[in-house]
Amino acid sequence: MRKLAITPVRVSGAALIAVAVAMLLSAIVALVDGGGGAIGLLLSALIAASLGATLFFGSRVSPSADSALAFASVAWSWLAVSLVGAIPFLLTGVITWGRFDDAIFESISGFTCTGSTIFSDFSVIPQGVLFYRSLTQWLGGMGLVVLAVAVLPALGIGGLELIASEAPGPTADRLSLRVRDTARRLWILYGAATSVVAVALFVVGMSAFDAVTHAFTTVATGGFSPHADSIAHFDSFLIEIVIIGGMLYAGANFSIHWRALKEGPGAYGRVSEVRWYLWLIFGCFGLLVWINNGELGWFENVRESLFYAASLGSNTGFGSSNYVLWMPAAHVALLLLMLVGGMSGSTAGGMKVLRLQVIVRYSLRELRRARHPNAVIPIRLGRTTIEEQVAAKVVGFVLLYLGLIVAGGITLTGLGVEPVTAFSGAISAVGNVGPALGEAGPTSNFLSFPRSGRLILMVLMALGRLEVFPAMLMLVASIRGVGQIRRRAANHDFKAG
Amino acid sequence: MTPRPPVRINAPALVLRVMANILQGPKILLTKVANGQIESSVGVTVGAVCVVMAPVLFISAAADFWNRGDDGVELLILGLVVGLIGLAVLGVSRFPSGLPVARLFVAFVAGAFASLIVATAAHYFSSAVTSLDVAVAEAASTVSGTNASVIQAETLSLGITLFRSLGQWLSAAAIIVVVVRIMPHLGVGGLDADGGVVTRSARRLAPKSGSTMIRLLALYAALTGVLLVAYGVAGMSFVESLVHAFTTISSGGFSTRSGSIGAFGSVAIEWIAICGMVIAGTSLPLIFRALQQKDMSRFGRSVEFRAYVGLIVAAVVTTLAWSSQWPNESNVREAVFSVVSAISTTGFYSSELRSTAYGAESILLILMLIGGMSASVAGGFKVIRLMVLGKYIRRELRRSIHPAMVEKIHLGRSSIGDVAMSRIIGELFLAIMIILPMAMLFSADGLNFKAAFSFAISSLSNVGFAFGLDRTDQHLQALGAIGHIAAAMMMMIGRISATPVFVALGGIGEPAQREIRRLRLRRKQKVIR
Repeated sequence: MRKLAITPVRVSGAALIAVAVAMLLSAIVALVDGGGGAIGLLLSALIAASLGATLFFGSRVSPSADSALAFASVAWSWLAVSLVGAIPFLLTGVITWGRFDDAIFESISGFTCTGSTIFSDFSVIPQGVLFYRSLTQWLGGMGLVVLAVAVLPALGIGGLELIASEAPGPTADRLSLRVRDTARRLWILYGAATSVVAVALFVVGMSAFDAVTHAFTTVATGGFSPHADSIAHFDSFLIEIVIIGGMLYAGANFSIHWRALKEGPGAYGRVSEVRWYLWLIFGCFGLLVWINNGELGWFENVRESLFYAASLGSNTGFGSSNYVLWMPAAHVALLLLMLVGGMSGSTAGGMKVLRLQVIVRYSLRELRRARHPNAVIPIRLGRTTIEEQVAAKVVGFVLLYLGLIVAGGITLTGLGVEPVTAFSGAISAVGNVGPALGEAGPTSNFLSFPRSGRLILMVLMALGRLEVFPAMLMLVASIRGVGQIRRRAANHDFKAG
Repeated sequence: MTPRPPVRINAPALVLRVMANILQGPKILLTKVANGQIESSVGVTVGAVCVVMAPVLFISAAADFWNRGDDGVELLILGLVVGLIGLAVLGVSRFPSGLPVARLFVAFVAGAFASLIVATAAHYFSSAVTSLDVAVAEAASTVSGTNASVIQAETLSLGITLFRSLGQWLSAAAIIVVVVRIMPHLGVGGLDADGGVVTRSARRLAPKSGSTMIRLLALYAALTGVLLVAYGVAGMSFVESLVHAFTTISSGGFSTRSGSIGAFGSVAIEWIAICGMVIAGTSLPLIFRALQQKDMSRFGRSVEFRAYVGLIVAAVVTTLAWSSQWPNESNVREAVFSVVSAISTTGFYSSELRSTAYGAESILLILMLIGGMSASVAGGFKVIRLMVLGKYIRRELRRSIHPAMVEKIHLGRSSIGDVAMSRIIGELFLAIMIILPMAMLFSADGLNFKAAFSFAISSLSNVGFAFGLDRTDQHLQALGAIGHIAAAMMMMIGRISATPVFVALGGIGEPAQREIRRLRLRRKQKVIR
């Protein structure tokens, strides 16, 4: 049989096989638990595996490999995984077929590490499905890219473009000369961090199931919890401390974590982005404590403020209380955290601290230039000078990011959603946070949005995760690819004729 | 002997000549008086502002005496004091022979804040205001052309009403002067942040920038006259027509009634206000050229005007589509009124916007942010900058596909340079950096989240009305003293742009920064030794 030379199809196939494995693991959990859902998960795994195998073995890698193709491969695999990832919710019956779009919403929310949910009653959902939900975030967290990078040599295309498109942020540091080694190291670090968080959560009093699922979604900065009231369900300060530590760690650049392991904690101090990241989170924490002073008891105030500063600053979205009831000024601080998100090269979403640094420096540079029109002032981040072209790219991204939020917010309000809920929902979706403000707070779900509104949120989540540009490249590469296939077919017909 | 051809009196030329003669007076006064010992651009600017404000206070005092109001004496005394201070400051100051850009920024900002201080004093000494923070907020609304007020318009004396509307009119006239005479030298922020496209086109109206300024001011005065007549014909009293003509054409938004234009309950007045607001948001050089050459197709040829009208039409259609009612004349008029009021940053309202659909609310907020055309008297970010940003995003998207691509950004026939591009982007980010903390401050000072955010945007864009409370004009009232001062600063920054304010503030801290740098250098040298 003649295989089609379409790289995105082959990568998507590989990704689907990985998802099938996740479904299989969840089916095993469901079988062990005995709470149902095992057959649905097994069937889903079968469908995903057969679909993935068909795509993987039915196609081969394109001879020409450029960055656009690599970006397109990632974007298409995301789309495939998000669609197929919805099947378990439907086959296990936790979401009816009539609401298939809600299943896709939950799946996209999982794989994009957003953490927004449409579930309200978690007691009726089988443990296997809850485990699968957490696993989708864990897989999405580091991105299926690491998995894809592991099979990339077989695929035959360069991997660094893929990491750059997958690992959120403007840069993906090379930890090794070989891309496969870089991927492997990141994978090891990610797995190790998950294990440490899981063990720590177990030690401080969570059940094994809760510890594992929460570890998955903490390190992935996803925010799904098997409980409707999220971390507030445990009402344990120790658990919150572990989760805060996990979120702060996952919201920072994994390359720096690796360096810190090799060179000692001094590696953190050398990176200006780490300082900004911590300043932002702890600055907002101080602000929240100040604003909530008098509204909450001092211990409660410190505890909740710290939790939400870390949860929203790393774009995880776990909840320990209902911040919607806080003072409106606190909501502005929370919104700022949601907007900026974690560090580049982390699993967190959002605009990224590095980009915030660039635009602040950029604006200050313009102020200085206004004062001294003939001065040549470079944009510096720590000891690094940012090239003009890189700064332009960052600025372009930020403008597009803000434009996306505005467009999403306006459309949602047009659908009848209250403006605070709509705009914060758009910020939360694009930044892959999870909870928003207004009617979509941490204790409520996204059913408060109309059906068409949830569709828009899905698009925003996907665009936010793919950082907008790869999504566009996906379209361009796909159009180009279709054109190439047509031309080849025409040539084939001509020769045959 | 051949007979002389009869002299034809051309009305526009006559207006121009009269305006030139009127403006010659202050110019001669400035050159004669400002001849002191101290070379200070700030002194000359502040003195000139005081000298210009004094007649406004006298006119307002005269009107109040004529109407037997309560504030005539206060306004007269204040006028005398301000005039004398202005003359004294001018007397000791002299315009410096060489003026660095940084000093020009400081002078520009100092002039704006001098007018704020005079307007604050006028409000504070009148019977309408009891506290200083309210006086500052009301003065900022007057000077910046924002329709945000704590006071019931009906309770004001005629003198203060006239002072407020004349203040809004004059501040917009000052913007014209700034566009033509100052912005080309500053080259950043404000209306020149489009890369000089506007100021270049404005400069081309006449060989000398002074003549251009006179032409634009004459046009501004003529348009005010037309509106005065139109409002009068539509049924307003003379004083009301005058006040509304002043505040419509300047995109100020103050009214003689607390219900704004809607309080008149007249369809004709509303349509006149709509036309006036559209004109206020349109580029004055563009109007001047179109009228001068009797070529209305100029409007169609302007890319920015097409975008401006396109935005209005799109916003009206979307607002109507998202409203729960079937569109009729009343709904359409209401939608057009709100949209035009928001984009021209006038701030008039024809009805309470409480029942407006959520979608329409967010559209109005975005329009407030965008604002009118460049070289208009409207506030906001300006349509041309939005267009440039759109082109910039498109270029970056294309660059992500073709990384080696070199593409220049063009707008119509103008090419936007990278430096100008950076200025526009810097201005936008600065605006965002101002809105966020101010929204936080407003919400800490008593507004709910929606009201705080919408009022932060509204005050920075010099609109006035906002959402989230029972009434559209209640926001300033709901704030405390800190909120009033913060709102006043927002309005001022909105009027004079963020860049000049920050640069001027940076100038204050410059000696300290220099010292810190020196200390660091010394410490480094010690370490090296």
